[in-house]
Amino acid sequence: MLEKIMNMDRRIVFILAGLAVVIPTLLPVSLPITVSEPTQKLYDYIDALEPGSTLMMAFDYGPSSLAEPEPMAEAVLKHCFDKKVKVVGVTLLIDAVTLADQLMQKVAEEKGAVYGEDYVLLGYRPGGFQVILGMGSEIASIFDNDYAGKPLSEIPMMENITNYEQISLLLDLASGSTVELWITYANAKYDLTIAAGVTGVIVSQMYPYLQTGQLVGLLPGFLGAAQYEKLINSSGKGTAGINTESFVHLLIVGLVIIGNIAYFMTRQRGES
Amino acid sequence: MKRQVPLVLCFLFGIVMILTEFSPHSDSQELYKEVGRWYLVITPFAYVIGVMTLVQVHGTRIRRRAEYWQYSYVVFAGMILMVVVGMPTFLNQTPFFQARGISFGLQSPVFEWLFEYVQVPMEATTFSLLAFFIASAAYRAFRARTFEATLLLISALIVMMGNVPIGDYIWNTVMGETPWTDGTSWARQWILDNPNLAARRGIILGVALGVISQSIRIILGIERSYLGGD
Repeated sequence: MLEKIMNMDRRIVFILAGLAVVIPTLLPVSLPITVSEPTQKLYDYIDALEPGSTLMMAFDYGPSSLAEPEPMAEAVLKHCFDKKVKVVGVTLLIDAVTLADQLMQKVAEEKGAVYGEDYVLLGYRPGGFQVILGMGSEIASIFDNDYAGKPLSEIPMMENITNYEQISLLLDLASGSTVELWITYANAKYDLTIAAGVTGVIVSQMYPYLQTGQLVGLLPGFLGAAQYEKLINSSGKGTAGINTESFVHLLIVGLVIIGNIAYFMTRQRGES
Repeated sequence: MKRQVPLVLCFLFGIVMILTEFSPHSDSQELYKEVGRWYLVITPFAYVIGVMTLVQVHGTRIRRRAEYWQYSYVVFAGMILMVVVGMPTFLNQTPFFQARGISFGLQSPVFEWLFEYVQVPMEATTFSLLAFFIASAAYRAFRARTFEATLLLISALIVMMGNVPIGDYIWNTVMGETPWTDGTSWARQWILDNPNLAARRGIILGVALGVISQSIRIILGIERSYLGGD
């Protein structure tokens, strides 16, 4: 019996994991969410921005990992539009540009934000760190037009935004190593204030930058999205996602404990 | 010549770019920006090489009838379709498509439909499969066989439970009458703020020193593997 538990067929684990996702999704539960300090710091920073300030949002995630950063982007966009903070969207990943366009349009429609006055999507340019460095000198030297092809000189919002000096905060929503690029080239060289929202798997990598103050705030995975949604009082995909994730984590923790109990009992029997 | 020219260029640009970083002179800064612009011009050529390699690899697979060669046709079909639909070409001006209200380009409804209903679900599905494999792998691998493995196991369980609200919910239900609330997320935060941060910082410093020494080797021509060949 113990051997059977220890060598449980992986298909049983797959079925249990599937059920742990499907059941809480179909029967939503509401779990109390505690806001962590890094999320609170980001919220406070954005909340303290003057109306008319500009936030640059880097959509550095692709379709494969959009489940976590997209709810964060949605919550922060809502907060910015409510606070009349202008948003400039950019991306270092080619896959992300259509996602950013669709999301910004959706939230803008909901909040009554106007393209070119309240928000702009610059789009994508290849070059990674050189794009970051180039925008520090002059945004128009990298993006001479926006995503739709309209020259920046014809966009009212961009009249007074020429480089990072007019950007109050850069928020990088990432599923890879782009946060380090922004910190190395935009924060260290141009003193741009940076915050990040990242997928759960890379959260632990961000803590050194958080401690040094190179990141003023951090949204950690689904949890960060759910916490931000709680702060702006608008629950969405982040809250739904973290509740589902709760049950998957609980299942894995339960399986690991059962596996270890079986392992120790087998070892004890072997010794005796 | 084939090896000397790249080595000389690498040495020159490497030294010049390091020096410009430390010189605030306007000429130096202008040079820095100019070379940056060259980089931006060169980068898109990587896509050309990428497409050429893709065509070469899958062309060879089809020619040699390698295992699952039929799927290489799917690669070509997908690539050609997305390029045709994603580029605002002369097709937008043809009466056939104009009459039907069909346009092409990154913001065209056809491209957005293909992106939203084909690419996004496919990529998300592939990535989602990881959850099942991680669940299975965690069950098999997380065994307290040694002291180090036990430490890893305990930390992992705490961080996993602290990462989701159900961890605090269970803690507060069990410890409801005590002054210690939200113990799971507190423990998770402590692990991230202390042992994780210390280890991560050590890794960052180690990697940075490695990158510096490797860069110096490349600039001085000691490390030449990037040139290919022997």
